[in-house]
Amino acid sequence: MNRRDFHRLGTRVLGALVKLAVAVPAAAFLLNPLRRKGDGGSETFESLVPLSQLPVGVPKSFGIVRDQIDGWVKYPKEPAGSVWLVRQPEGVEPAVVAFSAECPHLGCAINMGDDGKHFVCPCHTSAFDIEGKPQNQVPPRPMDRLDVELSKDADPIVRVRFQRFRTLAEEKIPLA
Amino acid sequence: MRNLLADWFENRTGLPSRLQSMRDEPLPAGPRWGYVCGSALLAILLIQAFTGLMMMTAYSASSSTAWGSVYYIEKQMWMGWLIRGLHHFGAQTVMVLAVVHLLQVLFAAAYRAPREVNWWLGLILLGLLVGFGHTGYQLPWDQKGYWATKVSTNIAGGAPVIGPYIKTVVVGGNEYGNQTVTRFYGLHVGILPVLLALTLGAHLALRYRHGLKPPADAAEKPKAVPSTYFPDQTFRNALAVTAVLGVMLGLVFWEGGAPLDAPADPSSADYPARPEWYFRFLFQMLKAFPGRLEWVGSIAVPGALMTTLALLPLLDKVIPSKILHFFVCAMAFTIAGGAGYLTLSSFREDAQNPAFHLAREKADKANERALFLASHPDFGIPPEGAGYLMRLDPLTRGSALLEKKCLGCHRLGEQGTDQQSAPDLKDFGSLAWIRGLLEKPDSPTYFGKTPECDGMTSWKKSSKLDAKQLDQVAQFVASFAKIPEGQTVDDWLNTPGVADHPGNELFQKDCGKCHLIDGYTEGGVQDAPDLFAWGSPQWMKRMIRKPGDAALYGYLEDKQRMPASPVDEMPDSDVSMIIRYLKGDYLKPNAP
Repeated sequence: MNRRDFHRLGTRVLGALVKLAVAVPAAAFLLNPLRRKGDGGSETFESLVPLSQLPVGVPKSFGIVRDQIDGWVKYPKEPAGSVWLVRQPEGVEPAVVAFSAECPHLGCAINMGDDGKHFVCPCHTSAFDIEGKPQNQVPPRPMDRLDVELSKDADPIVRVRFQRFRTLAEEKIPLA
Repeated sequence: MRNLLADWFENRTGLPSRLQSMRDEPLPAGPRWGYVCGSALLAILLIQAFTGLMMMTAYSASSSTAWGSVYYIEKQMWMGWLIRGLHHFGAQTVMVLAVVHLLQVLFAAAYRAPREVNWWLGLILLGLLVGFGHTGYQLPWDQKGYWATKVSTNIAGGAPVIGPYIKTVVVGGNEYGNQTVTRFYGLHVGILPVLLALTLGAHLALRYRHGLKPPADAAEKPKAVPSTYFPDQTFRNALAVTAVLGVMLGLVFWEGGAPLDAPADPSSADYPARPEWYFRFLFQMLKAFPGRLEWVGSIAVPGALMTTLALLPLLDKVIPSKILHFFVCAMAFTIAGGAGYLTLSSFREDAQNPAFHLAREKADKANERALFLASHPDFGIPPEGAGYLMRLDPLTRGSALLEKKCLGCHRLGEQGTDQQSAPDLKDFGSLAWIRGLLEKPDSPTYFGKTPECDGMTSWKKSSKLDAKQLDQVAQFVASFAKIPEGQTVDDWLNTPGVADHPGNELFQKDCGKCHLIDGYTEGGVQDAPDLFAWGSPQWMKRMIRKPGDAALYGYLEDKQRMPASPVDEMPDSDVSMIIRYLKGDYLKPNAP
């Protein structure tokens, strides 16, 4: 290798080093959201309503209000989303079924149909029956069921673990 | 295929051959280390632009969000500290390289024909870089940036005639706030970069037009093999850039990122504001121009210097070149020496100034507290903005309010003025406080400095309670602080542990003669406040709001009484901050 070849190689190697030194942290910086955990779901159950206040078979909508961290700001008790609760007839387990109101299609909020007997999404006409099963080809999967538990009180409080799931997927995949 | 594409691109743009001709630029005097400075400066400027762009994806420009987003970049984001650290130390590197580059050009007399215009462009670039430094410094909207902004904009405001108008426009009004941040941000990421790109583009174009200036002695040593810019000079450039970046990275790792002070607090009276080290000589020089002469130091002297530099190429035509060059080089050395001296003396003055150390210590503590609160899962940055981080913290806000509103008469351990006329509030409401009072009521810690409250002193003289009984009474009274708000005396007396407390009977017999508690003690022998829930937040709040209440110190004359703090002077939130501070009710870092 002559002097000029050494310079050629040296320029390229050092140039690459300098670029890498900036590009690597820059990539990490931009990819930061991939690293953050816990944005989609929660490990805790949110108390929503006493069981006695839920009519059997009539879906009711409830807002999930909890502490939210948005970037650097901590918002205490902010609305995070909403769920549909359907109380099941006596003796059926579980006593309450909870659906996320987020449409598995593209994430719009699912509403109740005019007849009060089925769910519809106002964005792309996803339709679901009262059990959350798709009624047309729009949604890729049924409405997302959420974990429900009842407190030990005399009139138990319905508690729901609010989670978000990947839209458009045929499987129910929780967002990390 | 590749050739086809390359040919097409060459045919349409001519760019590849232009770049090739730049690479093949002949170097008559061979590659030189002396040429690396400008290239290194350009490389670091590119790094500044790049890291700045990265931060733009996370930074939020407003007085309530700026600090929080910078905190997020620095402490939460993946390698955010590295990106911000590079930008921070890059700014300082740019200033150093720019000055070295300027001196180099000056010493080489490269301001002479035909390079006059490039010399002027260089001076404009220097001004733009100073602008970048100033506008970037305040973007975190921390204490350092806030006060530096005030100082630098007031300097601009001190300029004759148009100064005040310039200042109002730059600040976005008379108050420093959202408009200040957005305007500085706009300058820093929009206006200045455009000006820089245009000027730098012209600067570089002219540099290629005139070529690198060969050293004076180049002709004497002809090179055997002719050199070209690539790879002979580029290798040296690359080495220099690598070394400079290495130093920058070293500093970033050493510092663990870039410094972030506590959020801006316009009410802090003792923040020791200092500019970045490269402006320290200007800062120090200003001290020589006090009062109305300030504009001489801040505007006239630097202005005269820049004007002289700008006039050099023209002076070169009227004054013999060699004499002028000797004169300006001597001037450069003098100024560099003077600046160095001023910088050192500024740091030395601070080092020898105990008040500065004290203020710095206080600022560091506030900074540490802000970072602790921001990162605490139970606290975090409130939606109202980073300024409220400290305002919602009883330790910070409560202690500041206490100092301002209460410690004129009261004391808090060592804290307080010499004109003490009220008890020490350290541990007020605690067992230790009440036990101390029962032992020695006339101590300055208790009512020694409050002659109108002499009831306890006369009680002490006649009391026959022994040490053990005093302990029991003290324990009983100290338990009052835990009485929940809204509880009645009856409810309280029926609470387990109250009636059968060993101090209950003693209190009723010995203290109850003076201290009336409705439905529990008689009172009447001597005027004394109602002690029900004494030391609890609600009792303290009543005491602050209405010390003249019949159940408190209503029996004292107005001038003898503690002055009340009405709501319009001190909102409930402030009272609560003082009480929580006194009660130690705030987040504490875990002991290591």
